[in-house]
Amino acid sequence: MSINKMVAKRKIRLAAFLAVMGPGVIAGLADDDPAGITTYSQLGTQFGYRMLWTLVIATAALIIFQDLGSRIGVVTRQGLIGLVRQKYGARAGSFSAVSLILANLGTMTAEFAGVAAAGQLFGISRYVTVPLTGLVISYLVLRGTFKKAERVFFALSAVFLAYIIAGFMAHPNWSSAFKGMVTPSMPLNHQAINIATATLGTTLAPWGLAFIQSYAVDKRLTRDDLKLLRADVWVGSLLTGVIGFFVVITCAATLNKEHIFSITDASQAAVALKPLAGSLAKYIFAIGIIGAALLAASILPLSTAYSVSDLTGSPAALDDNFQEAPLFYSTFAAITIIGGGLIMIPGVSLVWILISSQILNAILLLPLLSYMYGIAKDKKLMGEFVAKRSSLNIYGLVIALVGVCVIAQFWFLFHN
Amino acid sequence: MKQTPVASINTVAKRLVGRGNLVITRKSVRDSLVSVAALIGCQVRDPNGKAIGKLVDIVVRHGEETYPPVSGLIVKVANHKSFINGARISKLTQKEITLSSTKINLENYQRRPGESLLDADVLDHQIVDVDGLQVVRSSDLYLAPLDKEIRVVGVDISFVSFLRRLFPALIARRPTPEHVLDWAMVASLTDSTGVVRTSSSKSALSQLRPADIADLIEDLAGREQGALIEMLDPDLAADALEEMEDDELESLLRGLPAERSAQLLARMEPDESAEVLRDLGSEHRESILSAMEKSVAKQLRELVSFDEDLAGGIMTTHLLVVKETDTVASALKLLVENKERDSSDGVVVVDAKGQLVDHIQTVELIAAKSSSTVLDLVAKPFPTSVQIDTPIAEVVEEFSNNRGSSIIVVDEKNKPIGRILSDDLVDALSRSRPRGFSKGSGVLS
Repeated sequence: MSINKMVAKRKIRLAAFLAVMGPGVIAGLADDDPAGITTYSQLGTQFGYRMLWTLVIATAALIIFQDLGSRIGVVTRQGLIGLVRQKYGARAGSFSAVSLILANLGTMTAEFAGVAAAGQLFGISRYVTVPLTGLVISYLVLRGTFKKAERVFFALSAVFLAYIIAGFMAHPNWSSAFKGMVTPSMPLNHQAINIATATLGTTLAPWGLAFIQSYAVDKRLTRDDLKLLRADVWVGSLLTGVIGFFVVITCAATLNKEHIFSITDASQAAVALKPLAGSLAKYIFAIGIIGAALLAASILPLSTAYSVSDLTGSPAALDDNFQEAPLFYSTFAAITIIGGGLIMIPGVSLVWILISSQILNAILLLPLLSYMYGIAKDKKLMGEFVAKRSSLNIYGLVIALVGVCVIAQFWFLFHN
Repeated sequence: MKQTPVASINTVAKRLVGRGNLVITRKSVRDSLVSVAALIGCQVRDPNGKAIGKLVDIVVRHGEETYPPVSGLIVKVANHKSFINGARISKLTQKEITLSSTKINLENYQRRPGESLLDADVLDHQIVDVDGLQVVRSSDLYLAPLDKEIRVVGVDISFVSFLRRLFPALIARRPTPEHVLDWAMVASLTDSTGVVRTSSSKSALSQLRPADIADLIEDLAGREQGALIEMLDPDLAADALEEMEDDELESLLRGLPAERSAQLLARMEPDESAEVLRDLGSEHRESILSAMEKSVAKQLRELVSFDEDLAGGIMTTHLLVVKETDTVASALKLLVENKERDSSDGVVVVDAKGQLVDHIQTVELIAAKSSSTVLDLVAKPFPTSVQIDTPIAEVVEEFSNNRGSSIIVVDEKNKPIGRILSDDLVDALSRSRPRGFSKGSGVLS
């Protein structure tokens, strides 16, 4: 390859990278969805800076597994669920698909909860906002105009970058924040375990893992694209972590300091943005929530539908019509309708849904991460990209951590 | 996943031929189908009806036969996975597997070359549906007695059959032949020792257009990609490789043995081979070139050394050259000898010094008297030629001025050394498209 060509190629790739952010960045930004922001807010409000280390671990785990997922996708050219079926059989494949569907359904419900909560800040009833959201995303995604909408959602969710400025303006205690990041300590009660589990579950979300792998398969990314993909995963994951960090310290320096120890509705969470935006805080917060929720809510049903067709082995995509891919469209519809429907139940607590859906995520992560571990060490599938002993140890450590959280979760559930 | 290439009328017509030979359409076969998925885990019994152990897997032998015969069973007997020779099966139906003797070999099964395991290697794995032109997953496999042996005759790719395995009690275990693909119409690729190839799937594959095969190759991953290539006739494989995306081809070649890469690249158009060799890097390139015939390797080395933004970098060196003094008959003979290589549009005429004189079309040669010399046919318009170091932009200009389908490349002494076809130019121009994440249109579309 001539030097000219190399430079030209690199330029093009960089341009492509900047113009269209990759799956890692999409997943990263969509990770800071209403559930993520609420969980991080709760982490800072309830425990101040003390439990920041859980976010550090969750972000590291996100990088590690997103990286693995993209590698599996590129090397095997198969989606996660299809691979589980091939390697572990029909039952395991179905089990992993059901786990993923449940987790995605929970998260989808949380996205609707986010829109509902944000709507309430503007004084609009959830019985208006939720059905409207369902219609808007179905229209955008199914009509194929999603690409343009995606940019708008990106821009809206970028409002959360405001937390970075708000974080500085709230004059946090930086040394406590640093200490909280590096010294693992937590009160041994159900609340702390809840929030630690939810932090893991919302950051290292199951849908993100399936998404990045199917993205690599669908876009036919090759081994040459792996470097770019890896950079994209790092950028996206760190973005999640950094925004999460500032959400936590902003809440720690405002709400927690003022002895508010639990968030019960969105207007309280929005208070954290007051040092920055004053009386506009709740509107900025609402706009960010809506953008992030729409971004994630557009990808979630699509990614789920993709995984289901991956299980059956029948290739499906948006270019197929309903007759060609009934399962694909049925899954899409089911996820959207059930997710929205749950929020329409009168009296349901939005914050409770937002956080418990992420705890569900963590529980369902266990089988999915374990299958990924098995695939990573399979020489037949991964060839020269098979995971080394040291990498496997790290994957195992993350799985063990999630396992400990889930076990503690159940222990507290039955000993209270 | 985009896997719906539009088949040309030609390939559809060809595929319909020979359908009548598929055994799955025979009533006798359809009535005796045995589901492999339902069979795994069943009790294997001796002639007295006593249970010996549970069926773990079914071993098939795949050679040149279209429908691979069952060569044996793997049965779990007292913690051993014993192999039971297929000749000792006295009865095999959906309800019972009975052996003709009680003797059991307690050694663990060792895989032999040319064998594959239906549960471990084929079930739930990806297979190529040659008829539907897509990569699918097998939900079930069907056995049936055929030509005095029990053979794999079909594969089920339906979701219903998949559910049947999950909830056996809810849905009847009856095979649903309407969802079954004939084994002759699929190419199963997953096997640790080699390729599950059948002569029919091989011939069915050979009826596909190279571009469709290229799509199938791109849909598969490393090991399966290699396996599919192995199934193809080398000339067809080379044609398909020419149709692949540059980076897809590059990563495919990185996964193939150097000898195989050498064989395929030598059959491809030299300019296409040179292009991918350029991208492979010097180390890998040398290992491939050294596995090639010397003359071909030399030619490719030369092409690789040209800058790909210049005429020399995109030209093909495959050129039919005749002298002015040669007869029309010998020129035609040369064309016939090279008919495989898409050079049927004519010959290049050079003078005694080897310098370019004219390009004469095949039609002109056919119309002329066979005893006359080529020189008699030399006339205006004379062909356009470009130097090796002409930038592509200028080549494009020459093309649009001349409206021809090819242009001749000459060296500094005006000796023809290659030519650029219009499709080479299209390739060169489309190569400058942006790449990376911008490949598709949306997040998952």
